[in-house]
Amino acid sequence: MKTALLPGRNGGSFTFAIRLLAVIGILVCALPVAIVTIMSFSASEFTGFPPQSFSFRWYQDVWALFTAADASSAQSVSEATLTSITVAVLVMIISTVVCVPLAYVLARSERRVREGMETLFTLPLVFPLVMLGIAFLLMAESLKLELGIWRIVIPHVALVLPFVLRNCLGAMSGIHVEVEEAAVSLGASPARAFWDVVIPMMKPGILAGLIFALIISFNEFTVTFFMYTIDISTLPIWMYSRTVSSLDPATLAISVVIILFDLVLILLVDRLIAGRANLF
Amino acid sequence: MTSHLSRRLAFAFTLPALVAIAPFVAACLYILRFSLSGEQGVIEGFSLTPYYELLTPYFGRSVWITLKLSLIATSVVIVLAVPLALVLVTLQSNLARRLLTVTILLPLILNLLVQAYGWVLLLGPSGVINSTLIALGLTDRPVRLMFNETGVLLGLIQTSLPLAVFPIASSVRSISSEYLEAASSLGATHWRSFRDITLPLLRPGLVAAASIVFAFNASAFAIPLLLGGRRVQMVGLAVRDMISPLFNWSGAAAGGMVLILLTIFVLFASNYLVRKTTARIGT
Repeated sequence: MKTALLPGRNGGSFTFAIRLLAVIGILVCALPVAIVTIMSFSASEFTGFPPQSFSFRWYQDVWALFTAADASSAQSVSEATLTSITVAVLVMIISTVVCVPLAYVLARSERRVREGMETLFTLPLVFPLVMLGIAFLLMAESLKLELGIWRIVIPHVALVLPFVLRNCLGAMSGIHVEVEEAAVSLGASPARAFWDVVIPMMKPGILAGLIFALIISFNEFTVTFFMYTIDISTLPIWMYSRTVSSLDPATLAISVVIILFDLVLILLVDRLIAGRANLF
Repeated sequence: MTSHLSRRLAFAFTLPALVAIAPFVAACLYILRFSLSGEQGVIEGFSLTPYYELLTPYFGRSVWITLKLSLIATSVVIVLAVPLALVLVTLQSNLARRLLTVTILLPLILNLLVQAYGWVLLLGPSGVINSTLIALGLTDRPVRLMFNETGVLLGLIQTSLPLAVFPIASSVRSISSEYLEAASSLGATHWRSFRDITLPLLRPGLVAAASIVFAFNASAFAIPLLLGGRRVQMVGLAVRDMISPLFNWSGAAAGGMVLILLTIFVLFASNYLVRKTTARIGT
């Protein structure tokens, strides 16, 4: 249907050039991930390429790191992972719980209100991440706020709101007022109509938003880099502090686990919103 | 439409989200206020000193490096993103399209550290590229590719490419193939119809994508931190150095405001450009 844009046969030098550039683009995207995956199976301590032989020893090392007895030390990877997961889950729940009702109201309100609110909730997306980190740090430090884990959760919530809201609004776009009115005319209260009719219809969008929040929070580095403390630090920060001087293959093995985790979640989102919306 | 939604209910439904975004708004205002402080460590009085003190060759160089690298990275990203978008949209097989989408999307979402590790393994002295060059006998000593601008540039290109591909792909989708068929039936070559039809129709999408990519790159922090080895002092890093070793908080706030204003300026300018070009096409 769209073959005229990029002719397959008889394309000549044009199709060749476009395909060549596309392949370069794919390589640029995929090479770092591919090479991390390959090197994590190297049998040697030396991270030079090509690896002389392959093994699972770094994965065993990672397993040992997680199950080691000194899991109580401040720098332990299991603690950082646990913090990462706790933060991501809190961020996911909070952002979704606040965005679902907001999306419902916005979808039913005047265009001006809707556009204004959407702009406000898109701001964190265009705000430079470094500045977000510095702004939150300055505020927390100079006001001497004791926030515990919320030091990281609060900025992360701001970061994921644009994505969650967009998914919820997308889910609302197909749900017309008539559906609710039908439920109400059949005797349901407006609250019940919202809970039993609208929410189930929004479900794919809500789930996509949930997963987006989880992925973004779990992978976040820049803002967390400013906000972490010795007691509360996440997995990316742990990886950074471990590799600040040199790269060690055990971190590559952890990286591969993270890559797999992200891949599974992206495929899930893709499935949930397949055909109905763009990922971005 | 709002008739059945009482004001009180609408407010109750909006309030939690406003509470969630309030710290962000507060942080933005706080940093603006701090950048006008008369003292370096606390908010005290009003003064423009933090901004005057940015007028050093050091910070100027940071701004210059940031603008230069972001501009080059954005140009390369657009040159790579248009072909990728064309391929993505014209792929026939559903599975292939899905695989390509995930491949492009992954760098945007994946932990930046993991990607930086990938570049270290590729560009390092014993990395893939240098081993290959040495094995081929093209060089006898490793070429320096990392901890300089080349490494940072590659990292920026890779992490911002997805931001451009998806918006451009949706612009490509909206091009009616009838125009191109008409052009080719009139004897235009593929290059000619690409230059005279596809590109002009894509222009608003390209400008929008370029501005997002530029803003993203200008405010990059993790990539220059991890791949620049302290030698490529982009504004993000320079601002952080004011906080961490120097404790010049008001200076950092002012530097940050410069970065924010730069980003906002680019976004607005491109918005204006898009509106201007679409208006012209419309007439």
